Amino acid sequence: MASIARSSLLRQVAAKPTNSLIANAARATAFHTTARRDILPPLPQKVKGTVNDAAPVPPPSPSHGSYHWTFDRLVAASLIPITVAPFAAGSLNPTMDAILGATILIHSHTGFQNIIVDYVPQYRTPRARKIFTWGLNAATVVVGIALYEYETNDVGITETIKRVWAA
Amino acid sequence: MAALRSTSSVLLGAAASRPALRFAAGAASVAARRGMAQLADGATHNTTASGENANLKTFQIYRWNPDQPSEKPKMQAYTLDLNKTGPMVLDALIRIKNEIDPTLTFRRSCREGICGSCAMNINGTNTLACLCRIPAEDKAEMKIYPLPHTYVVKDLVPDLTQFYKQYKSIKPYLQRDTPSPDGKEYRQTKADRKKLDGLYECILCACCSTSCPSYWWNSEEYLGPAILLQSYRWLVDSRDEKTLQRQDALNNSMSLYRCHTILNCTRTCPKGLNPGLAIQQIKKQMAF
Repeated sequence: MASIARSSLLRQVAAKPTNSLIANAARATAFHTTARRDILPPLPQKVKGTVNDAAPVPPPSPSHGSYHWTFDRLVAASLIPITVAPFAAGSLNPTMDAILGATILIHSHTGFQNIIVDYVPQYRTPRARKIFTWGLNAATVVVGIALYEYETNDVGITETIKRVWAA
Repeated sequence: MAALRSTSSVLLGAAASRPALRFAAGAASVAARRGMAQLADGATHNTTASGENANLKTFQIYRWNPDQPSEKPKMQAYTLDLNKTGPMVLDALIRIKNEIDPTLTFRRSCREGICGSCAMNINGTNTLACLCRIPAEDKAEMKIYPLPHTYVVKDLVPDLTQFYKQYKSIKPYLQRDTPSPDGKEYRQTKADRKKLDGLYECILCACCSTSCPSYWWNSEEYLGPAILLQSYRWLVDSRDEKTLQRQDALNNSMSLYRCHTILNCTRTCPKGLNPGLAIQQIKKQMAF
């Protein structure tokens, strides 16, 4: 961070024929701490409608709202017993193993989904949002198939952890 | 965190070679401060002349003037004698504006923490200047910025247009169709009234919303802790009859569910409220 900022600052200092460094101090103290990176520059401030209009209320969609959140929490909470169960019981059950794999998959899918919704906003970068969302969907499908293969043709998740633990 | 280092030292440091830098930075920042704020210099002379018991304190204040939009924002230093200043940061700001630099701009009104005008970022924490004490024993400079991640109108004045528009969008008033049984006021039980404690005290100073990373990234769509706390205040009100419509308005991916329980809001609230808890209560209320 510092080095990036410094190089851009040096350029500014070099570009200007400075007669006195102190005289430039006023400008110097301006915020130069961030480098100029025009990857996604902030848009100019815009007020939708007049300042007295209320902000627009989006149409209700529980599948992205309350259902999504509730499902998210239930999956996260259920992961704890599902993870502990095979080790506590000391037995390996392929069905439990498959459920564990599926739950982890769903959990990570919704987790990544949250990240994308947070950092790739629809109003700002609609195309990137689309790419990321479908990229995530594709990745989830691929991992799902991989987990299925792993469960059916290999030892399964719990057994892998056990072996790695013992190794 | 090089990014947060005093900018003057970074720039002056950049001009010199690396090892010499650290040494130069200290001296240079003093020089920079003098060169930059002659007014502050004058003030220093005045206060030091007043006596050797002067308890000096320097305030580094964010300055940006919309009349010179090409000039970058800068920090300006003002030195005050705390023996002649009131105990709160707002007292210091008012004294700076009255006696040293009348161009310093900030909002203030009630000076007792009930209007929410003087919300600003003081020493890295969003708080009300009128409720924030100047630490007398601590000789360190105080750094005062406008509320973070807001459009700045001038100096310490942030643009809260979006914040107020969002407040308007939650319909912050009693919505009711059935008249009260006796034709007088709408009554509620003591228990119902108790649910509003910790909610109605919110003064909408925007300290919590502007401290929330989720709100920084998505303030166009996410409502932010202050507005959601207000929303909850109407959701739990036993007299309000539009609870379902209010819930529907929040039931999408952005308005409410961008809260990730970071709890910066609860930590920073100058009134000691708990917006984080209120948001969780809304989520719980809407979950089943």
